[in-house]
Amino acid sequence: MIFAAPWTLLALAILPLLWWLLRVTPPAPRSENFPAIRLLADLRAREETPARTPWWLLALRILAAALVIVALAGPVLDAGRALPGRGPVLLVMDNGWASATDWPRRMQAAGSMLDRAQRAGRPAALLATAPDQTGAPPAATPPMPVADLRARLATLRPEPWPSDRVGAAAALARWNHAGTAVAYLSDGVTYGADFPAFASTLSAVGPVTELCCDGPPVRLLLPPQPEADGLALRLAQTPMADPATAAVLAQSGDGRTLARSTIAVPAGAAASETKLVLPPEVRNRLARLVLEGSPSAAGVVLLDERWRRRPVGLVAGDLASAEAPLTGSLFYLRRALAPFVELREGSVASLLGRDISVLILADRPLPEGSDRTAVTQWVEKGGLLIRFAGPRTAELPIGDSDPLLPVKLLGGDRQLGGALSWSQPASLAAFPPGSPFAGLAAPAEVKVSRQVLAEPSAQLSTQTWAALADGTPLVTQTTRGAGRIVLFHVTANADWSNLPLSGLFVDMLRRLVELSVGVAGAPANMVLAPAESLDGFGVLGRPPDAATGLATDAFATTPPSPRHPAGLYGPENGRQALNLGTALPPPVAASRISGAQVEGLSATAPERALGPWLMAAALALLAIDLLISLLLRGLLRRRAVGIAAAVLVAALLGTPPAHPLETGQHPALATRLGFIATGDPQVDGIARAGLEGLSDYVNRRTAATLVEPDAVAPGETDLSFYPLLYWPVTASAQPLSPAQAAALNDYMARGGIILIDTRGSGDGEEGSGAGFAPGAEAALRRVAQGLAIPPLAPLTTEHVLARAFYLLQDFPGRFAGSGVWVQRDQDRANDSVSPVIIGANDWAAAWAVDEAGRNPYATIPGGARQRTLAYRFGVNLVMYALTGNYKGDQVHVPAILQRLGQ
Amino acid sequence: LADVTPRRGSPVRAAGPLKAEPLRAEALGAALPPLLVAAERVAATVAQGVHGRRRVGQGDSFWQFRPFVAGDAVSRIDWRQSAKSGRAAPHGWFVRETEWEAAQTVCLWRDPSGSMRWRSRLASEDKRDRAGLLLLALASLLLRGGERVALIDTPLRTVHGRVGLERLADTMMRAPDDDTGLPPTLALPRYATVALLGDFLSPLDEIQAAVGRLAAIPVRGHLLQVLDPAEAVLPYEGRIRFRGLEREADALVPRVESIRSAYVERLAAQQEGLATIARAAGFGFSVHRTDHAPETALLALYTALAVR
Repeated sequence: MIFAAPWTLLALAILPLLWWLLRVTPPAPRSENFPAIRLLADLRAREETPARTPWWLLALRILAAALVIVALAGPVLDAGRALPGRGPVLLVMDNGWASATDWPRRMQAAGSMLDRAQRAGRPAALLATAPDQTGAPPAATPPMPVADLRARLATLRPEPWPSDRVGAAAALARWNHAGTAVAYLSDGVTYGADFPAFASTLSAVGPVTELCCDGPPVRLLLPPQPEADGLALRLAQTPMADPATAAVLAQSGDGRTLARSTIAVPAGAAASETKLVLPPEVRNRLARLVLEGSPSAAGVVLLDERWRRRPVGLVAGDLASAEAPLTGSLFYLRRALAPFVELREGSVASLLGRDISVLILADRPLPEGSDRTAVTQWVEKGGLLIRFAGPRTAELPIGDSDPLLPVKLLGGDRQLGGALSWSQPASLAAFPPGSPFAGLAAPAEVKVSRQVLAEPSAQLSTQTWAALADGTPLVTQTTRGAGRIVLFHVTANADWSNLPLSGLFVDMLRRLVELSVGVAGAPANMVLAPAESLDGFGVLGRPPDAATGLATDAFATTPPSPRHPAGLYGPENGRQALNLGTALPPPVAASRISGAQVEGLSATAPERALGPWLMAAALALLAIDLLISLLLRGLLRRRAVGIAAAVLVAALLGTPPAHPLETGQHPALATRLGFIATGDPQVDGIARAGLEGLSDYVNRRTAATLVEPDAVAPGETDLSFYPLLYWPVTASAQPLSPAQAAALNDYMARGGIILIDTRGSGDGEEGSGAGFAPGAEAALRRVAQGLAIPPLAPLTTEHVLARAFYLLQDFPGRFAGSGVWVQRDQDRANDSVSPVIIGANDWAAAWAVDEAGRNPYATIPGGARQRTLAYRFGVNLVMYALTGNYKGDQVHVPAILQRLGQ
Repeated sequence: LADVTPRRGSPVRAAGPLKAEPLRAEALGAALPPLLVAAERVAATVAQGVHGRRRVGQGDSFWQFRPFVAGDAVSRIDWRQSAKSGRAAPHGWFVRETEWEAAQTVCLWRDPSGSMRWRSRLASEDKRDRAGLLLLALASLLLRGGERVALIDTPLRTVHGRVGLERLADTMMRAPDDDTGLPPTLALPRYATVALLGDFLSPLDEIQAAVGRLAAIPVRGHLLQVLDPAEAVLPYEGRIRFRGLEREADALVPRVESIRSAYVERLAAQQEGLATIARAAGFGFSVHRTDHAPETALLALYTALAVR
């Protein structure tokens, strides 16, 4: 601790004088009017001892005076080392994308450097090394008083693009003030090969104090690779000595978390990846991936249409031969599409029963009937129908023209080449510019030997996306309603052409599937205007002034800059994302500036001036002194003093934050819910937040009053206080110990209710939670071994649980659609209450409420209605736990009334 | 009624509350019979009253028969008595004469000094209001008894009859403050009765002079010392600066509790002196505390002044 004005401390010497003065001055007397004063007139002579100020009051006053003196001396706690030199202090701050993660610490460190400059009375200047929003290269401010510079520093923000080392070096070269001390706040990344030149220019300016190098590693979330059943999340970072983990949140467009995945980064590794498995419907709702932790543009990847997953339905004409290897009509399609889309097979009706984006009919005519109607409706709503020709299509009766073909076909097929033909199998022409295949190379070895022919018409050329070298169309298309129909004039197997054998087939299908959400692929050289851009903290907002449009083919190669900030480009229905990690090189840790004095960022704790606090304490003491003096003089009643003291204490302590739920009571004194702790902090956190949200909802909607929920451990906690236990079962759950099982069995036998939630189910199960919790069924079986679980039956709307408070038709949580199981037989001994309820809907996540009162976890398939129903199920559950079969009795009311003769 | 009592120090006294004081005073005196003042000699007035003057004059009581003299009205002859004498007219004629009955004049005084406008936290009413209430209650009783009542004030105006009470109250309310604390020297009717209500905290010799002047008129009467309970027991503690109400010098008392007994002794001495002065002048003396009921003081005044 140092004093800014140490001479003021000499004033402490007058304290003894003050003590003496206060001692000899008696306290001021009370005044009273008194008529009989004449009788008192000379009585006072008999009093000997003069009144003295009490010693403790004296000490209080002396303490207040001492506090004032010390406060005026300006004590500063945690003052830093003085900077060398006598000239201005140049603050060089890296504010490229890597600086955002610990930006508050950086600002604090910069502030403490300015504190030092201010204490030494030196002017200061600021050089931010990243280009600003207008794209202007870095430039140092002129030296100015520290107070003025603070205002400039306060407006400094981390930018979502790299620092400009060349521009910063040029700005440093222009700096010509003698005696400069440089304070360099490095973000620890080189941003390219120009760092050594920058470093040498920096040390040429003056003695450098570098603040760096104790922060977290610089991490850059790279765009994920789409995989068959999920996304490969990739992370690049500066290597660290210790292994670490990074959590990635997959979020929907409204910022709610759909899934969370952890990437383990081994020691010394510069990159790592993990796989995020997501069901296709959920993947289509993904809008961004966010690195958990401090917000930063480098930790955000915006996902546009390219990452969406589109379920594709496959229907073959000849079911018998469709599966045959190498010759079956679906064999090549399946091989081409499986890596990047989800394939579904079945009848037309069953496929259209679920949401699919693309329907592929391989030589499958659609005769008039329900199938044709269903497909027509689906196409007109926006589906993409891809058809492949074949013998069945070619043999179509002339009179029955299929309306679900883009062009009218001539009867029969055309054979090119063969034993009895002069013609040769035709190769492909270059793809026309308006076609989605434009830009794909047509390999010469792709030959078409048979095809169906389109009836010539005026629109045929505009409907053609691919043609043979002789001009006959190979792929034709038309739009129908909001959807589109595409016809390959060849088969989907190698019978008519060797197109399915080439890599071109895969690319063509991929581009077609990308069309399927209705987004026409933008032409290669179309320039997309910036729509929204990320700021340095990864928040989408208005693009900076310097932002200009970007050609669609440059997205993969353009590094972020003020002209092309990371963000979303293009029109509303065809946004394309430019991400920070796409074209940036992996971050390389910057070496330290040679000859620099290195200080850690967190070592520079902010200087704390104690003066104002001491002054406040002195004022408080004087206020207390005033109260005491007034009390001694009788100008205040004791009650008034009490009130004043209470007001003073309340003002000093402030009001404690209000919490909607009461806490801290013994479980026996209030009703509360409980959850069985799993040991996984994230799952336990969700369970606690969920039960808090449910308790709050129940308190608001019903007469029941619940307080803060508890985590319980069976076998250790006394379970008898909890009417309902929520038990999230994770895939890694271990079997119960005999003591735990005994405690839970005892709990159930005595009327307790356990809600067992597997929080999703494995792949292929029913409900929207399928695929979220692989292995949960096995875990459930494992943990339930020791439990006395009665025979179960699905929960129906007839059950009391479906009408204990609200009348419910289904029982969703975060997921919907999977069954809920309750006790099958009515057990009169236990009031017919099911001791266990088993489901997979992840109710706690739907109930969960964060500190800001929001629901942090998105419901799937989604909607406010689903969350409301989830809460209602929770209310019913609590009512069921609290009132048993009370509501069930109402079933008998008509019979009772009848018996009474009413 | 207490609610409409005029507040101490209110600058304008409205007409309504003026009526309230006499009403309250009458209510206070309603429990006692009309007061006839005991008077061996009655102030020389011509007012008809109840005090016989032992000589011929206006009155209802028979006094004597005297022989008819020329000039007496024929209607005044008592024919029955004349007939019993048996002598010839006009020597046998007798005239009936009645005794002169006159009313006594009672002069009342309430200390209008600043020290009376005070009350401590122990009392609910200040001394001046209490003294005024007692004075009006006494006047009400006297007026009901047919006596004449005057306020010792300039000019001295005597009132009688039921309506006199309001005029008396009006005069009393309008009386200016006077910090001497002693009754003024006025030409009171001789042999009148006086009642003096005040705190009598002035030096004893001043009080003795004032009472002596009254006794020399001559009048007889009663002194009632009205004290606040705080003045009686001095209930303060600690270091207190006392301030007088009549521009006396302040008195700083370091520890009030240490002088309490001395003060009480001194107050007792003052009261002793007052009693002595009153006795010497033929006056009665009593003490009233404002935390006690006013009925007790009124009864004391009644018994002191009434015919025994």
